[in-house]
Amino acid sequence: MINLVYNEMLKIVRKKRLFIIAAIVAVLVSLFTYAQFKQIETIRERIGTTDWRTQLQQQIIDTQNRLNSTGISEEWKKFLKIRLQQQQYYLDNDINPMAPGAPTFMRMFIENSIELFLPLLVMVIAADLVSSEASGGTIKLLLTRPVKRWKVLMSKYIAMILSTSFIVFSVALLSYAISGIVFGYGGWNLPLLTGFSIQGEELNTAAAHLIPQWKYLLIEFGLAFFVSLVVGTLTFMLSVLLRSTAAVMGIMLAALISGAILSNMVSSWESAKYLFMVNLRLTSYISGMAPPIDGMTLSFSMTVLAIWALGALIVSFYVFTKRDVY
Amino acid sequence: MSKRIITMIVLICTATTLLWTVGLIITIQDQFFYEASSIKRPKPTTSNIQKNNELSIVALGDSLTRGTGDETGKGYVGYVVDELKKRTNQHIQFTNLAIKGQRSAQLISQLKQKEVQRQLKEADIILMTIGGNDLFRGGEALRDLSTTQLEKEKEKFVQQLRTIFQLVRTVNNDAPVFYIALYNPFNDLDNGKETSAVVRSWNYAASEVAADYKSIICVPTYDLFELQVNDYLYTDKFHPNKEGYKRIGERVASLITLTKGEK
Repeated sequence: MINLVYNEMLKIVRKKRLFIIAAIVAVLVSLFTYAQFKQIETIRERIGTTDWRTQLQQQIIDTQNRLNSTGISEEWKKFLKIRLQQQQYYLDNDINPMAPGAPTFMRMFIENSIELFLPLLVMVIAADLVSSEASGGTIKLLLTRPVKRWKVLMSKYIAMILSTSFIVFSVALLSYAISGIVFGYGGWNLPLLTGFSIQGEELNTAAAHLIPQWKYLLIEFGLAFFVSLVVGTLTFMLSVLLRSTAAVMGIMLAALISGAILSNMVSSWESAKYLFMVNLRLTSYISGMAPPIDGMTLSFSMTVLAIWALGALIVSFYVFTKRDVY
Repeated sequence: MSKRIITMIVLICTATTLLWTVGLIITIQDQFFYEASSIKRPKPTTSNIQKNNELSIVALGDSLTRGTGDETGKGYVGYVVDELKKRTNQHIQFTNLAIKGQRSAQLISQLKQKEVQRQLKEADIILMTIGGNDLFRGGEALRDLSTTQLEKEKEKFVQQLRTIFQLVRTVNNDAPVFYIALYNPFNDLDNGKETSAVVRSWNYAASEVAADYKSIICVPTYDLFELQVNDYLYTDKFHPNKEGYKRIGERVASLITLTKGEK
């Protein structure tokens, strides 16, 4: 089994995709670092101070003003209200949620990439794991070996898991290394608040508690890994079902992008919360953002995602072991 | 591609997989099995803004201080700051805490916030507008000019204004406060005479309150808008436009030199 997995990893590494992905991440992280740096500079210029309390207070006032203006949608209003309460809570507890530093940048980067960017990268690897063998005809060679079919598929699946964690790792490593040049490498022990829960328009702080930033990051990257795994598994299933890699990518792309669009407008369509693509933003439960649909919680989203992944896994193994290969 | 590199990659992948699994376990333990207890607050850091030859301006109040109606978004405070920048080479730190539509009662609760108080404490100059929303209530006052109702509102406002000044003075005893008084945006309407009378009486009451406190200056704006009011109003016929704000700003800025004696 280990040899089989090793063999699959060899194939993935040979295609050089992992390195291309790392290069993409490096370029994007540099871009975002620069953007972030510019943003901090503009804020400093506008408010005329580097004191974070003044800046946070100003943000709160700006949000309050936006809430008072007419013509903003109800969803957006709710989102702003919850963020407002959270910012006020941070301010009241004398904690700076945005203390500059590479770990803070990592946190922002993963929070923004968990929904679309990271799944896309995973998809690039997982899409052709099986389908390329089917379209290239090499699957026959693979299946003529005296190895059970489920073992062949299992080795491919494990290789997918391993490369997914490699992708998440390269995001973590590169975002830390590159942004640290500008923001400095410190800030692992910065206290952060988590455990907010949202009830309607109110932010419930009963279970809110402080954790150091390294733990916070570990949690967020753990969740990012979980999301990537689920997306990887779904792509894997499509890769088993379809012979064309392009079709696999097309379907996953459509699903992921529709998820990003849907989560902005599904608040009135309640049953949409059972779709996997609106549940991908797991990190927003940790930071206490309003969920796209009322009643969604971390455990709910994780369960939904796990069920989708499990279903996909069962389908892929069933189809792969029963299918005629010719 | 040597065998060693691939083995290394596989090892890295395995190690990181373990790491992320640990992360997931921590997530479950931290998010689902957390026992609520009070937050251990970090030691309060030195919360004073370093004052190195800085002129700190804090603005409080409603949409006028916010600058609603000025397409450049500056509002009168923006022009005051611009003017002061010309006159002094001190670094100016400007904080605008105004919220659109704010009434005096809401300002009182804002003034009770810790962070707002900290910033007020550090302020060298405080600018403020309040009362416009108490009086006009989004135009409601125009329909109902019954004197008893307005008299009651005025009583309430005066009391609240007193509380506001009291609060500001307890937090910061030295900085001059410029309270920008009301103008009448409706004085060219049919009942302009009546509304003007009401605005005047509110302004009078406010200046009486201001007189009770050390260096709280009630800055009149009523006269600025008396002639050709529409030239100085934004299209909503309520807020000043750019020109209107400029006039207020010029007036306030000229007062600041007198009291501060900056170069």
